[in-house]
Amino acid sequence: MDKKYGVYICTGCGIGDTLDIKALSSVGKKFPVKTHPFLCGKEGVELIKKDISGEGTNTLVIVGCSRRVNFDIFRFEGCITERVNVREQVVWSHPRSEFPALTEDQIDDGEHFDRVQMLAEDYLRMSLAKVEKINLPEAYKLDTLSRKILVMGGGITGISAATDAAKAGYDVTIVEKAAHIGGYAAKVRKQLPLENPYEDIIQPVIQAKIDEMEKYSKNITVKTNTVVARIAGQPGDFTVTLKKPGEKTEFDVPFPLPPEMKVDESGKELDVEKLRERYLEYNQGKKDILTFDPNGEKFGAVILAAGWRPYQPEKGEFAHLGFGELPDVVTNHQFEEMASKGKITRPSDGKEAKSVVFIQSPGKDEDDSDFAYAGSVTSLVSLKQASYVREDYEDGKAYIFYQHMRTPGLSENFYKSIQQDPGIFLTKGSVVGVSKNGTGLVVEANDTLLGDKIKVKADMVVLATGMVPVTVDDPVVNLAYRQGPAFRDIGLFNGYCDSNFICFPYETQRTGIYAAGCIRRSMTMEECIEDAAGAALKAIQCLESVNRGVAVHPRSGDMTFPDFFFQRCTQCKRCTEECPFGALDDDEKGTPKPNPTRCRRCGTCMGACPERIIGFADYNVDSIGSMVKAVKVPSSDDYSEPPLRFLGLVCENDAYPALDIAGLNKLSFSADVRFIPVRCLGSVNVIWIKDALSQGMDGVFLLGCKHGDDYQCHFVKGSELADIRMKKIGDALASLALEMERVRQFQVAIDEYDKLPGIINGFVAEVEALGPNPFKGF
Amino acid sequence: MADKYLIEPDVEFIKEIQKMGGDTLKKCFQCATCSVACPISPDNRPFPRKEMIAASWGLKDRLVGNGDIWLCHNCGDCTALCPRGAKPGDTLGAIRAYAVTEYAAPKALGKMVNDPDKFLVLLLIPAVIFLALGIVLKIFGVNWLNFSPGGEEIVHGKFFSTWLVDLIMVPTSLWVVAIFALGLRRFLGDMHENALREGKTDKEKIDAVEFLKALWRVLPTILKHKKFSECGENQERATSHLMVFYSFVGLFIVTGIFFVALYGLQIHGPYSQWNPVKWLANVSGIALVIGTFLMIKERLTNKDQVTVYKDWYLLIIVMGVGLSGMLTEATRLAGVAGLSYTLYFIHLVFVFNLFAFLPFSKLAHLVYRTVAMAYAEYGNRK
Repeated sequence: MDKKYGVYICTGCGIGDTLDIKALSSVGKKFPVKTHPFLCGKEGVELIKKDISGEGTNTLVIVGCSRRVNFDIFRFEGCITERVNVREQVVWSHPRSEFPALTEDQIDDGEHFDRVQMLAEDYLRMSLAKVEKINLPEAYKLDTLSRKILVMGGGITGISAATDAAKAGYDVTIVEKAAHIGGYAAKVRKQLPLENPYEDIIQPVIQAKIDEMEKYSKNITVKTNTVVARIAGQPGDFTVTLKKPGEKTEFDVPFPLPPEMKVDESGKELDVEKLRERYLEYNQGKKDILTFDPNGEKFGAVILAAGWRPYQPEKGEFAHLGFGELPDVVTNHQFEEMASKGKITRPSDGKEAKSVVFIQSPGKDEDDSDFAYAGSVTSLVSLKQASYVREDYEDGKAYIFYQHMRTPGLSENFYKSIQQDPGIFLTKGSVVGVSKNGTGLVVEANDTLLGDKIKVKADMVVLATGMVPVTVDDPVVNLAYRQGPAFRDIGLFNGYCDSNFICFPYETQRTGIYAAGCIRRSMTMEECIEDAAGAALKAIQCLESVNRGVAVHPRSGDMTFPDFFFQRCTQCKRCTEECPFGALDDDEKGTPKPNPTRCRRCGTCMGACPERIIGFADYNVDSIGSMVKAVKVPSSDDYSEPPLRFLGLVCENDAYPALDIAGLNKLSFSADVRFIPVRCLGSVNVIWIKDALSQGMDGVFLLGCKHGDDYQCHFVKGSELADIRMKKIGDALASLALEMERVRQFQVAIDEYDKLPGIINGFVAEVEALGPNPFKGF
Repeated sequence: MADKYLIEPDVEFIKEIQKMGGDTLKKCFQCATCSVACPISPDNRPFPRKEMIAASWGLKDRLVGNGDIWLCHNCGDCTALCPRGAKPGDTLGAIRAYAVTEYAAPKALGKMVNDPDKFLVLLLIPAVIFLALGIVLKIFGVNWLNFSPGGEEIVHGKFFSTWLVDLIMVPTSLWVVAIFALGLRRFLGDMHENALREGKTDKEKIDAVEFLKALWRVLPTILKHKKFSECGENQERATSHLMVFYSFVGLFIVTGIFFVALYGLQIHGPYSQWNPVKWLANVSGIALVIGTFLMIKERLTNKDQVTVYKDWYLLIIVMGVGLSGMLTEATRLAGVAGLSYTLYFIHLVFVFNLFAFLPFSKLAHLVYRTVAMAYAEYGNRK
């Protein structure tokens, strides 16, 4: 595309009052520059539109407010639009009261300078440099697109998800490993309420759900006794091999070597060739990941609703509660099985179980945590099962000992209603032991609400053990991905298939695969049904994005994708290793094989690549590098005491908005820092830092999301990888006799805008103490 | 059961309490707002939080003999602030009613007092006793019951002889005292045991002299209704309660003087309206009617407070006593002989109900609460 540039400066919102617009205009003087007092108004937009249609202007540099606002107003079809943020990050955050304008005789005296004007001019310069280096993206289109959705798991979640997707007009296949669909929901005596007033347990709804699904049998195929052998390919074009449970096929997914096989007898790590050999040996009889099953079924997206299995306590794990020793001590799952068969009786002698104690927390030592994999659902299930006792026996008694009684939302109504039963007794307390008492049991608990210790007689004791997601035992999805068949790092979530806490439910670390129900966390059936709807919508979003060649999440609608200049690839595998979403496979030599629809466009590969051969149409090593180089670094030739210059590489997701909010709140910070938004700190290529320092900038910092176990990175790994890279850059700096303190990374959340001035000014002061960059002026 | 930690919930007990005005008790989720809100609860082992869980677990042993239930004056502050609508104040009221029936023998009578179906039976009991005893005596020639009392002046003693009345009421009083004595013996023992178990007393044993001294010390508190007026929500109840309380005191004094004058000085009633004793009687009678009226009005208007049969029973009886008494006097002064004599008979029926069933009705609180307060003072419950 032939670029025809136009610079438009808005003088509203205080910009014209603070800045010398004439001087600013002259920065962009190689192009037509127009100013307007209200650019986002009708008249201002018309001005731009006139240039587009009349002059053929197609590359617009709009100087005014942040790109996070008015983006819809300044969106012009077929044009590159670059926004220069002089409102939030220049004039609003650098008031003249703190940063006074120059007086007449201070101008050009070689001593005084106007920091705010310099800041605005630099930002315009940087944007002008950038627009020269970027292009309009062209969408990546798949050769073949499947609009079918695969639902893994035929429990209440899978059935609901399939029905929801079918209602929206999509074709769905459910695979269920058992012989019947329905899952656990078909095995309970009764279930928790699903609707207002949320007070009483109800008959299981699973049959009604199945009946409803059968109305859409035109769209829904159900395959029981079936599991997924492998899912290959990418969203919109998955090739899925199905098989019978336990069956061995050549399209069973290859597994990575377990750690103990990666070393020789002496514990030394094996070399690449040896590893390869072992890997092939280990996966003998299995096709490699790049070979597609010719008989495989095509799917566009996957809903993972494979659910959970009951926690099975290990031998002696709850010895103090008598589990394993006393037959009348059972888990909630065993109790449910008994209850669904008929009246509750003691397993030991078949006598009526009229007094049942439900234990929510194992209560060993000082630990008050609930059973592993428990949650609010296990609290609610105890309440439900307590009412079974009352249902079966008019003089029955049910006791619940809890450390936490979790009944969120309207399930509080259920708690309240169960509490009303005169035969149900609740108390907080730590259960210290269950022992035999004649033919029955005695449960002893400390620190109860009844004061001190209490003991109650019981016919049975029920442990509220948790719901283990099946991803704990098995990869389940069996992805034919270079990074392995399973989800990475779900250990952080106890094996629950989750990617990022509350922000992005359903989203896994694999694009196109959306988790719902108890595989995400322990849930009630009501939650599962709701979750299913969410995951179905995500799967649909995925299909309706990849068909247009745009990103699904979190950069929804982004048309760019990473472009590789393979001639220069050294097969170092950093990109394939580091991609948080496993988007890149590789061939035997290690040349990356991109799968663009798996990609989330975070640019982590671009940040990783030492050869700098990866880039996006509008975001690449050169475009950002040019921005860095466009920053004017004043030296002692310009001023007797030149100001220092800092580069801030800022994550777009949280840190950049936080900076804008700081501006909105008129919080001021150093005017010597130049910020460049980056897609993710993971996309930061260290060359930018080196460029900045070698052209005399005094310090560089990265501002991004929290990393670690409770990370907030939108791309899971970005800020963590940046942290590792920054640590490594320290050594390089030392070799240049530059202090390591000149490069830093800070963590900030979107709501921590008030901390930004402290962080920025703190860093500036630290570097000022070190003195200017010795390379300045070279 | 030897094991003091072993607890066995009594579901029937829970149901009873729920029937007696504690139907909300199972709503409690143990936040302890009530104990914090209560203006008169002691700092050490405060009530009513612990009573609430004991109630919802049906732990009768921890409640019936628990002195704390009597320290509660049902201010209503806890009930007003309870986030769950568990109404701790009313629940304790229900537990008190249950405790009264527990300690008053025979229990069957206690059940009758709490049973609305038996209300007429209770009224019939004195009517039958009075008439039957009068007629039986008549057969034996003792003319203490005269259905056609003549004479210029209306003298109720000519209808039901004072002798006949006292022949019934004096033994009734003794029976009341005896029932209370038996009940209190158990109550004190239970209360002490409960206090020891829950660490609410600093005394090992109950020393009678020290206990009486403590009782003496709490009397001013009771007479001034000091605890009652510390309450927030139901403070206006203190006024009506005080009126009724002092009208009973006044009427008790009048009855005492009358009794002494009759049997000691052979002075018969009715007294002249100029007699100071009559003044006291009239003032007390009017105060009783007004006080009871206010109480009924409060019960009818305060929807937050639970009002069940046990409350209405006592209010009707007291109102009956006051109203029938005043009307008897009024009709006497107006010279409407037939009506006046009838009213007098009704008055006697109500008075009998009030006294004979005192250990079984809500009014028993005057004894239990006094003893519990004295015990709390004695045991340094703070």
